[in-house]
Amino acid sequence: MIQLVIGQLLNGAIVGALYGIVALGITLTFGITGIVNFALGAFMMLGAYFTWYGYEMMRLPYPVAVIGAVVLVGLFGLFADRGLFRFTRNNLVNGLLVSIGLISIIEASVLLIWTSTPKDLTYVLPGSLRIGGILLPKIKLAVFAVLLLVIGATYLALTRTWVGRAAFAYSQNPEAAALMGVKTDRLQTVVTVYSTALGGLGGALYASLYSLEPTLGAYYVLKAVESAILAGIGNTIGALVGGIIIGITEGIGSVFLPTAFRDGYGMVFLVLILLFKPSGLLGSK
Amino acid sequence: MSLCHLGRLLAGAAALTIGLSTAQAQEMVKLGELEAQTGAINTYGWMSSQGTRLAVEEINNAGGFEVAGKKYKFDLQQVDTRGEPREATVQFRKMMEDKVPFVFGPFLSNIFNAVRPIAEQNDGKFLLMGGATSEHDYLGKPGSSYLIRTWNWDAGPDGFGTLMVQYIKKLGAKKVAMLFQNDAFGKVAVDIYKKIFADAGIELSVDMFEPGTKDFTSSLAKIAASKPDYLFPGYTDAILYDIVRQSLEGGYGAKFFIVRGSIGPALKNKDQIDEYIAYVPKYFEQAESTEPAVKKFIESYKSFYKRDFPYDQAPLCSSSCYDHVYMLVEAMKKAGTVTDVAKIREALLGMRYSGLWNIKFDSTGEQVFSFNIVRVKKGGGIEVQSLDPTAK
Amino acid sequence: MTRIIPIVAFASAVVAPLLIRSDSTFAIITFGFLLAALAVSFNLIFGFTGQLSFFHAAAFGVAAYMTAILVSDYGWSFWAAIVPALLAVGLLALAVGAICFRFKLREFYFAVVTMAFSEMIRLVVVNWNSVTNGTLGMTVTAQPTLWLPTGSISLTGARTWYYVALLILVATYIICHRVLASWIGRCFAAIRLNEQLGETLGVNIFMYKLLSFVLGSTLAGLTGCFYGFYTGFIEPQYLSITQSLDIVAMVLLGGVNSLFGPVIGGMLLTALPHAINLTAELRIILYGAILIFVIIVMPSGIFGLFSRPRHAV
Repeated sequence: MIQLVIGQLLNGAIVGALYGIVALGITLTFGITGIVNFALGAFMMLGAYFTWYGYEMMRLPYPVAVIGAVVLVGLFGLFADRGLFRFTRNNLVNGLLVSIGLISIIEASVLLIWTSTPKDLTYVLPGSLRIGGILLPKIKLAVFAVLLLVIGATYLALTRTWVGRAAFAYSQNPEAAALMGVKTDRLQTVVTVYSTALGGLGGALYASLYSLEPTLGAYYVLKAVESAILAGIGNTIGALVGGIIIGITEGIGSVFLPTAFRDGYGMVFLVLILLFKPSGLLGSK
Repeated sequence: MSLCHLGRLLAGAAALTIGLSTAQAQEMVKLGELEAQTGAINTYGWMSSQGTRLAVEEINNAGGFEVAGKKYKFDLQQVDTRGEPREATVQFRKMMEDKVPFVFGPFLSNIFNAVRPIAEQNDGKFLLMGGATSEHDYLGKPGSSYLIRTWNWDAGPDGFGTLMVQYIKKLGAKKVAMLFQNDAFGKVAVDIYKKIFADAGIELSVDMFEPGTKDFTSSLAKIAASKPDYLFPGYTDAILYDIVRQSLEGGYGAKFFIVRGSIGPALKNKDQIDEYIAYVPKYFEQAESTEPAVKKFIESYKSFYKRDFPYDQAPLCSSSCYDHVYMLVEAMKKAGTVTDVAKIREALLGMRYSGLWNIKFDSTGEQVFSFNIVRVKKGGGIEVQSLDPTAK
Repeated sequence: MTRIIPIVAFASAVVAPLLIRSDSTFAIITFGFLLAALAVSFNLIFGFTGQLSFFHAAAFGVAAYMTAILVSDYGWSFWAAIVPALLAVGLLALAVGAICFRFKLREFYFAVVTMAFSEMIRLVVVNWNSVTNGTLGMTVTAQPTLWLPTGSISLTGARTWYYVALLILVATYIICHRVLASWIGRCFAAIRLNEQLGETLGVNIFMYKLLSFVLGSTLAGLTGCFYGFYTGFIEPQYLSITQSLDIVAMVLLGGVNSLFGPVIGGMLLTALPHAINLTAELRIILYGAILIFVIIVMPSGIFGLFSRPRHAV
């Protein structure tokens, strides 16, 4: 029994980190551009499919495929921003509807090109390690490490570099930041592109763990939004923590409660948070 | 124009008219197909439409078929339901208006449920041959003489489910853990297999997960604690790849029992699995060299469609597909009519057809057919067994 | 101009059956009317009160299920069954709306929470197998009968349902129209335009938001009651977020600033798939593109192209 719980704790943390990286994208986008970009799930899916294509079809080494995928997804994010999201800044409802339209287009295009036949990558790092009495696949540990690194680096960038502090200042007080010389328009584009790249990275790593389907993004973006709201929108490390909390609760919950309602628990939780503490569990406002 | 010319003109016209009316106008028999050809759930519909079209082309190119002294060709009308029930009802209504006497499909249960009221309104005027699970409950009921089901019922006495369970019982299985998705088909499958395993005296535990789940470690860990002999996951390939992989990586179990899905996951993990037993309507890779009818089919497919043969999808051609077109022709010949659907139905239910598969229909109109059990062992060795419940 | 269009349209709809022969055309148009009715009642909440509700499909679905269950499993008469169904939907909407508005959830958060509630209700429907038959859905074989002075008509047949659906659409339209033309409608407008200002002017924001939400959702329920009996089949997909999204798309396409816009949007999006034969994937791409196009380029929708801006404030 103890082993079961420890196992779920470890696994849940790793799964949660994947939610966390998309949640980070969500929270950054919201803080700087004022919309919740549900399309990040679709970008994650693109990252996964591009990685698959590069690794399986073009026979590139896995890390190369990942980098290539992230760059490509970032480019897509750039187009999406300049073409669409530029017109929905700070308009949550329009942003929501445009992201949904974009999701339909991206998902259907992938379905058209690569069909619904699931894609399963050749295993990148087969084998498992025995930790805490359970077997953890090496690739999951590697992915976890990469995610922590990237999220940590983002946090440092936000607090130490000029760009980061400008972004933070902007999210606190847009007018003052503009007066101080922060190029708001460019900042918003940079943040949107970075968020999509984060989603793409999440997808690229996802590809090494699970089989791919065009609709994989929908499930993740919902979890990511839940994680971001749980932690408090605008909280960088909080996004990771929120994701991990959700990952762990899911895993442990499934062991003791009927799995069929798993998604239901998440939603009840979400509603309660939104009603009683809209600034999130870790938020301060 | 002189009277002479006019006379010749009239004579010519008369001759032409008489000539045209005695010339044999090609008589067509309409064959409709109602499947999801595109969209996320198009796997079944795609293979079905490929096979049906191939059969129709072969028959028509050979000059058609002859029934009661007259020659006919098929007029194939394939519509894409896109998996949407509302869409399908409109398309199906149109087929009924066009008096299409034979309809292949649907494979999807929700589509069948949506068109069923319209089908019942037209009972007696057409035949519907589809593979949907939800059709099972209506077979043989009053007002459903149009209905023929072209997929085997897992739980029937000749059902592949029953026979598969008997197979693993012989291998010594005492405890099986079922891990299925919590959706329409998943729930039906659980009900069916609970009974089959109970009848066979094998202990069955059931765990269900939400569709969309990708990380099964929590369910697998829970299941592993009760130490089952076989894991019984279902039912799409995507899920199988993930479950098999995670089960092996986490050391939760290495013996698998599959009733829907391919052996791909087994081959990918061949050195880690202990045993992987799968029901496959036909293991085409092997059948190509052992069965002439299959070899011919594959060659015909490749030359007509000019692309690679889809070995992994081909097993789905056991439902409302290639064989069934030929069966329909044979039934019409035996009944001596292309319009009396009651007689044609009787002929279909009374025949045993041998094509790619050996196919028979039971008294309610449900398909019984030959199939394979594929057993993949550690290291990748493949053992194929053929079962033929039609040969009794 | 904009006054005349609806009248002309409805009048032509009444006489159109004289020209239509095909059963499938009747089906397309009948579906169009029913979905347009959903779009109209949705716009009462969205276009005119400014609240993006994702609860509409749930209201529609719950009413459909309740009516069907009461008639099929408990032997109620159809017309009697409508009453508890609508009551149930109204109470559900009251509860959800009260929670959301009490906590002052604004637009986006309101959308997300109504999405969550809608999903929860759908999960209940999916898992409550004994009552709803779960994911497999319910078939409805009963046919409602209508008693008229001239004798009773059973509601079957393409023509009859055509008129029934048209009647539902017209009834929904007229009810919404009357509400909007009254002082209630002005309060809705106040909420849509500037909530804080409205509050300072003495409008009870909470009560009117709730009224709009409950009324709109109940009207959706009315459509739901009939829909199940028309198609003969009800499934949990009716309550899905995708269904709500379809309705949003219809309203946006047709014109969010009017009551007739949703009618146009509803009929267009229902008939379009049958007019243009595209593969499923291309159709979804087109749908997404329409959504994006309308929001960014044509925010007033199609009907908005015909009318001058009504909201001067």
